[in-house]
Amino acid sequence: MEQRKKVIPESYIPIEASRTLRMEDKDYLLMNDAMYTFYERSMGEFSQFFMALRDEKKILGCRCSACGVVRCPPMLTHCPDCAFAPTEPVEVGQTGKLLSTPPITYFATSMFLDKAPFGRGRLVLEGADTALSIMLYTTTGILTPGIMKKGTEIKIVFQDERTGQISDIFGVPTSELTPEQAQKPGLLASELNWAAVKEPDLGQATEEAKRASQGTLVELEALLKEMSASKRASKAIENWKRTIAVKTPAVEFGLIIDNGRIWLERGRPQSSDFVMATEDIRVLLDGLDYKGAITDAIVKRKLWISKNIEFVTIFKLDRLARFLAREKKEGAAKG
Amino acid sequence: MAKKKSFAARKVGIVGASVTPFKGRWVEKTFYDLAQWATRDALKDAGISPAEVDAVAYGIYNDIFERAAIPEHPLQGIIGLPNKPGIRVTNGGATGIYTIASAFAFVASGMYDTALVLGVEKATDCYDFVSRSATPEVIKTIAWSGDSFFEQKIGWTASDSYAEVILAYMDEHPGDLKPEVTAKISSVLSEHVKTNPYAQRQFDQVTPEEVLNSRYIVYPLKEMEICVYSEGAAALVLAEEETAKAIAKNTGRPVVWITGVGLSNEWSFAGKGMNHWGRIYSHHVAAQQAYEMAGITDPAKEIQVVELHDAFIQQLEISMAEMGFVPMGRADALVDDGLMLDGGPISVNPSGGLLYCGHAVGASNIMSAWAARNELIDKGKHRALVHGTGSTICQYGGVAILEHED
Ligand SMILES: [Zn+2]
Repeated sequence: MEQRKKVIPESYIPIEASRTLRMEDKDYLLMNDAMYTFYERSMGEFSQFFMALRDEKKILGCRCSACGVVRCPPMLTHCPDCAFAPTEPVEVGQTGKLLSTPPITYFATSMFLDKAPFGRGRLVLEGADTALSIMLYTTTGILTPGIMKKGTEIKIVFQDERTGQISDIFGVPTSELTPEQAQKPGLLASELNWAAVKEPDLGQATEEAKRASQGTLVELEALLKEMSASKRASKAIENWKRTIAVKTPAVEFGLIIDNGRIWLERGRPQSSDFVMATEDIRVLLDGLDYKGAITDAIVKRKLWISKNIEFVTIFKLDRLARFLAREKKEGAAKG
Repeated sequence: MAKKKSFAARKVGIVGASVTPFKGRWVEKTFYDLAQWATRDALKDAGISPAEVDAVAYGIYNDIFERAAIPEHPLQGIIGLPNKPGIRVTNGGATGIYTIASAFAFVASGMYDTALVLGVEKATDCYDFVSRSATPEVIKTIAWSGDSFFEQKIGWTASDSYAEVILAYMDEHPGDLKPEVTAKISSVLSEHVKTNPYAQRQFDQVTPEEVLNSRYIVYPLKEMEICVYSEGAAALVLAEEETAKAIAKNTGRPVVWITGVGLSNEWSFAGKGMNHWGRIYSHHVAAQQAYEMAGITDPAKEIQVVELHDAFIQQLEISMAEMGFVPMGRADALVDDGLMLDGGPISVNPSGGLLYCGHAVGASNIMSAWAARNELIDKGKHRALVHGTGSTICQYGGVAILEHED
């Protein structure tokens, strides 16, 4: 039940513990800890706005009684541009245009790891003069640059379970909707046609490609060995454990990460945490060899992963590549 | 534009400065010891004792980083200034420049003859026990700085809010901020940092190609176009004219005068009548105020050193345009016309900037002032600009002009 969710998910909370870290022949103490405060927060003059989201699936703005400017979100009760003339609540539309091209977050904070990648844009709704900050998704898979730009028309979508917070709504491009969906006030997330997650069809490999892939596997094995051996590089995957099923037309194998070590096991793994699929195994090798990030390969759709949340593992692999490259480079610079 | 800037009542100069090493993590020291270390070194540089310091301004950005509300209170005794005034300044990323401005006002007003500027920050004690890494928790900690009603709960971060401004600028000027130019600038800064032994990334020289190949963090920002979180401290000793001259005579290090200060905070939301979307207007306003106070009419000709708060390379470029060094829409001239390249007229971030020296937030702009002062004195240059930016959508801006007469 959505309503019974904990304010802080259980999994975020560390146990009471400490560890010591040795730095240049001296031990230092690291203590698991948290700084927390709970609130029963007054939503004050914004109460009507949030209750309208939750209960009526409506978006409210505020209109200045002097200059007529409609601000959404309804930031203020009196207009600072008109000698603080009072404002009044007014309903605004649920479709609008982006004020500018929105950024896309691939590397999210610990609270949003399961929501990335997402866009956040400034949406000027019909009937409003100012922009509402809004989370943006595409229904067509992973959000990549170019799908939304300045001026793109966006439709507000309401979560089915709403709690009276700004996260009760998000936006999708109107162009991805049917005319009926685009017209409908209070459109729900469950009414959208989300593209099903399905593995890409990789096609068949030629005999030559199969032979070549064996050579690439040997290169990959040598690189992974170097990574596991490097104290600096393996920091990127310390305390991390994943089995990744890697699928290419020419070869399948398991990529195993286990607390600072990484290696591959030939053949399809018995079970895996997620699937990584690519037409060319070199995409993965180049990524790990620090010749183009694996993150970017996913963004450019050269590599596919079965779970968005595993971007967190992808980032670790990119860091692993960078740490190893940096160790070699700094070693050379210091002589 | 604000009313005409009134000029400072008294001349104020920098007579001592220091930084501690900036590191990815200081396991060996708390912020108490880092703060004292920077203080010890700055007072030593000025050749004075704590007894000769009249007041202190602390730059500490984020209570959650330090894991304490009022984190500055233990410092008053630790740095040897009990029973003296201390004020803590916190202004997002621009904390350092605002701290310098506050201490400047203390001295310029005649209230005190000397003041210590002390910036310190921990950051990477924040730790995400789910992904088993610090960074997602560090950026979460900063993400408590977004608007708490409308933005925090939809994934606001410092990176995505600056990215919004950068993309809005790119919508207006599609040919500017070319990826090969931002990559080149990052590479240039990584060369500058070689001579900064206090930097977090002193030996991390990167090629433009490596920058282009680095991963997206938040589109359009790549990992090597973004500053790195750091821990450390930095300090300055400020003094009024006669005191400053006496100290300089004693140390043999010339006074670097603060001849202009400008500050501006813009609207934090966008749309009609709010933030100047597609610009970083606060940096323009702050620079204009500082120029007027310092009597500068053509910054590109009259300023030789810029220590700029490079949270992101694209923002560095826009900030340089907003401050009048290159035209808006043609910020790439920084590289295309060689303005900030070796042998060019403007030295930008000789410290390596926040990308390579590191971003220990409260200390960062103070580190920049330390670096600018060194550059003026050691290279015999005349005038430097120190810049700070912060808060959502680059809302805060601050500029100080430093001058060296010898
Ligand atoms: Zn009005």
